[in-house]
Amino acid sequence: MSDRLTPPLTAARLVVSRDLLLAFRRPEQLVHPLAFFVMVTTLFPLSVSPERAQLRAIAPGVLWVAALLAALLALDFLFRDDAQDGTLEQYALSGQSLTWLLLGKTAAHWLLTGLPLSLMAPLMGYTLGVPMSAGAGIMVTVALGSLALSFIGSIGAALTLGVRRGGVLLSILILPLAVPILIFGSRATELAIRGETYLAPMELLASVVVLSFTLAPLAAAAAVRISLE
Amino acid sequence: MTWTWFHRLGSPPYIYRLAGILTPWFGWLAGVLLVGALYDGLVIAPPDYQQGDGFRIMYVHVPTAWLSLMIYTWMAVAAAVGLIWRIKVAHAVAAACAPIGASFTAVALLTGMLFGKPMWGTYWVWDPRLTSELLLLFLYLGYMGLRSSFDDLQRADRASAVLAIVGVVNVPIVHFSVVWWNSLHQGSSLSLTGKDTIATPMLIPLLLSMLGFTLYFVAVLLVRLRGEVLRRERAASWVAEVVAT
Amino acid sequence: MSHFLSMGGYARFLWPAYGVTALAVVLNIIWARGLLRRAKSEARRRIAMQGETR
Repeated sequence: MSDRLTPPLTAARLVVSRDLLLAFRRPEQLVHPLAFFVMVTTLFPLSVSPERAQLRAIAPGVLWVAALLAALLALDFLFRDDAQDGTLEQYALSGQSLTWLLLGKTAAHWLLTGLPLSLMAPLMGYTLGVPMSAGAGIMVTVALGSLALSFIGSIGAALTLGVRRGGVLLSILILPLAVPILIFGSRATELAIRGETYLAPMELLASVVVLSFTLAPLAAAAAVRISLE
Repeated sequence: MTWTWFHRLGSPPYIYRLAGILTPWFGWLAGVLLVGALYDGLVIAPPDYQQGDGFRIMYVHVPTAWLSLMIYTWMAVAAAVGLIWRIKVAHAVAAACAPIGASFTAVALLTGMLFGKPMWGTYWVWDPRLTSELLLLFLYLGYMGLRSSFDDLQRADRASAVLAIVGVVNVPIVHFSVVWWNSLHQGSSLSLTGKDTIATPMLIPLLLSMLGFTLYFVAVLLVRLRGEVLRRERAASWVAEVVAT
Repeated sequence: MSHFLSMGGYARFLWPAYGVTALAVVLNIIWARGLLRRAKSEARRRIAMQGETR
């Protein structure tokens, strides 16, 4: 007798394609975090110093702080629409593993927010005096870091669903958990900018990524169920 | 079976009464130990060869840092018990732990800074242990902030429980940070074997202090727990008998 | 006695450290007892209100 329930991985893939499709119908939503990232990064040459050497020294930190803030901003719409129209509730009641469904949702969210951020980052790095040769390194490190951020952030987003001024609270909750990502990520980016090998912090970052996408959906699923009660 | 004591602990009136009985015992014992540790640490213990009298700050810094970690662990365990077995009293324990833990984390950071300046020349350095301890403070504050953002107590309990459990990963990071990374913070001063053992006359007040602070924490927790239980069980009939006295 | 107070020169670090610890110890006790007291008076008030409406 075949199991009529869709296998979890297929369900997750269906969620990913649904979220991607819905997002492309409203592309303005995706522009906001990106625009925020660009603007925050631009603030630094204006407020600190336009001198290239100084900017290059602070570039890794600036890129990562801006990326973190943009990612926090983007987490706002991870669950918002689906919570409002009842889809999230359907997911929880569907009999499918909510963990896998949320894994799919968060992965889709990263494709829509973190990935574009990591593609934009080398460009912003260039405005901060970073040579384009370091572009690949910046892209890879920001891509990995934003992936971990999306997953860890999903826990916070689930916990603050429907809380008034939840966005601020979300940032406060996520920041302590995001600090290791920030530290490893900016260290890796710094080494990449200097042209040195950035394997060591990358491995640490990668292990954080693996930990977060295996464990975070579990916690997020628990948090979503609590929020929907 | 032996589960009956576990179930009894989950009963609010039982816990309320038990906590009330135990509090003075823990409180007075803690008081005696802390006064003894204070006298021993400040007067009896000899000055350190390298650090002179400054090392006496350890007698407040180490126990408060220990408290900051231990309290978070208890908070996370209680939160997990409350979440998994849906025991209200466990959630009350977690809620009661948080403010105590947060305040002693702040004290640990401050006393650490006051030790760091004369000994290492700086109030602060962004090394793994200090940074992760600071993050621990943020986790406590985030926990308390999340709790207060819900009007529904049950949802507050369960959501903050998830946060507490997720954040517990920081506790081993703080503890093992001096092992995993080279840092300014000195390594373990409490190893019982090996060359880094601390001299006995200096060790005794530290142990007294740690035990004293731990018992003190239990006493304060029991008082808070009674308050939390009363708040949650307002409508229950046993409350009327208890508060009429 | 003066040696005790000066703590071998570390006084301006040591005494604030002990001071802030003592402050935390005392404040936590006060806070906890206040919480219990307020919970008790809240419960009494509710019971009294219920008694009035009966």
